[in-house]
Amino acid sequence: MVQRTLEKLAAIKRGEISAADSVAAALELIEKKDKKINSFIELNQNARADAESLDRKIKGGKKVGRLAGLVIGIKSNINVAGLRATCASRTLENYTSTYDADVVKRVRAEDGIIVGMNNMDEFACGSSGETSAFGPTDNPAAFGHITGGSSSGGAAAVAANFCDICLGTDTGGSIRNPASHCGVVGFKPTYGLVPRQGLIDLGMSLDQIGPLSRDVAGAALMLETIAGKTGNECVMLDVGKVNYSEKLESKGLNGMKVGISPKFSELTDPAVMDVIDSQVEKLQDLGAEVVDVELPNLEHGLSAYYLIVSVEFFSGTRKFDGRKYGKRIEEACGEEVLRRILRGRYISQKEYRGKFYQRALQVRTLIRKELMSALKQVDVIVGPTVPKLPHKLGAKLSLMEMYAYDYLTIPANLAGICAGVIRAGEVNGVPVGLQIQGKALGELDALQVMRSLEAIE
Amino acid sequence: MSERAKEIEKSAEEIVESFVKDAEKLPELKETYYSQETYNITRPDGEPSPEAERLSFRRKFISNMPGSDDKGNLKVEVAKWSKER
Repeated sequence: MVQRTLEKLAAIKRGEISAADSVAAALELIEKKDKKINSFIELNQNARADAESLDRKIKGGKKVGRLAGLVIGIKSNINVAGLRATCASRTLENYTSTYDADVVKRVRAEDGIIVGMNNMDEFACGSSGETSAFGPTDNPAAFGHITGGSSSGGAAAVAANFCDICLGTDTGGSIRNPASHCGVVGFKPTYGLVPRQGLIDLGMSLDQIGPLSRDVAGAALMLETIAGKTGNECVMLDVGKVNYSEKLESKGLNGMKVGISPKFSELTDPAVMDVIDSQVEKLQDLGAEVVDVELPNLEHGLSAYYLIVSVEFFSGTRKFDGRKYGKRIEEACGEEVLRRILRGRYISQKEYRGKFYQRALQVRTLIRKELMSALKQVDVIVGPTVPKLPHKLGAKLSLMEMYAYDYLTIPANLAGICAGVIRAGEVNGVPVGLQIQGKALGELDALQVMRSLEAIE
Repeated sequence: MSERAKEIEKSAEEIVESFVKDAEKLPELKETYYSQETYNITRPDGEPSPEAERLSFRRKFISNMPGSDDKGNLKVEVAKWSKER
């Protein structure tokens, strides 16, 4: 498969296409098609000027950054100075960011052109892309179906060719789930690799910012742009600059051990599993050794996650009291956000803390130990991303049916490991994504598996 | 509390109870608060931002405030929920 991101980047750097033309084409396409898709909440009025400024730099023979001229969308829970960080909520609908998040500073420093703020589930509380106060996002890869969430707008914007790369956030699968449903590449970095400064939290011990892109090269380029410690963020791993894109090769996987768990087929729709099994066969053809790994308690991560995230979300939203900015969250938010706040408040009560919260943190330890133990035997674990196909927009699901979308993505967040998603195939025209979970700071191995599969498509 | 909020609260509590049931047979282990134990948790002391930057930030911050006086100080009503206590 042709690496479209690298080809475009090279053409811009050589001056064969201008950044201004590229941005103008993207904005025209958004204008024409986004009324139906609804992947953006706000567009950046300075995008054309930023692109023109980059073109002058290129014409002047000056050195340009690794994202030079690429069209970038940012999830609406990440601060971009001068644009609204609404979190897709009426709570913050008039809140204009006063500063750039660290990741945004890094994107700008590498000459990425930010075209706007993507739609999302309200405050990242959702797995379908339907809870936004600005309306649901439609799936460009399977119109009429959900995109998945919560980074719904970013995945849709990449799938619709509005953007080269978008920044999403992943607390329990919010990058990987929509990447799978929209047939694009998504990557959740190891917890602590990417600064969260400037991110409006869902769960502070689980959230990571990461890329959604057309191809693996785009994800690698964005990841190496945003990764690395900063003095602005205290919960970071001691990792400096990283380089993935120059090390990725279209080669076989000889010597690589790939794990699969029988648990995946227990939890997953057989039609989805057939697509995943065909990818596992391809990995074997590429030279990887495929071995079974045991993850006996995988499904217990779901309820532990929803307790932990509710407590952290309740704590993180106490600042939205409507005094300094925005509106009081309990008065302005939607149903799922309120449910998580009330659940978090309930669990946080002194008498329930040990019974619920500490117990959930113990289950987190169990899931983490099992994944770490499995990853000692293999380089990566591959399997389905989402256990079922996306439902039709507007279909009514029970709460547990909705939460069940996250069974297979949550464990990576609980363990803090990295995980990427690449299109594996489709069922009845709906994309299905393969999830590749790597060790903590095992980004290169996971990306290499993804690139090897991409190269034979 | 409104009927809607009561219903939502009830569904929130049901999930919590289902978790307790789900976790009944699982072993008791040390809690994991963050996934790694090697975070760089101390920040270096930095220089304060230049005055122009601070003023610019203040202007932007005030523009987001629901209310302010002539000097740019925040003006808020006593919150309704504090009266309810």
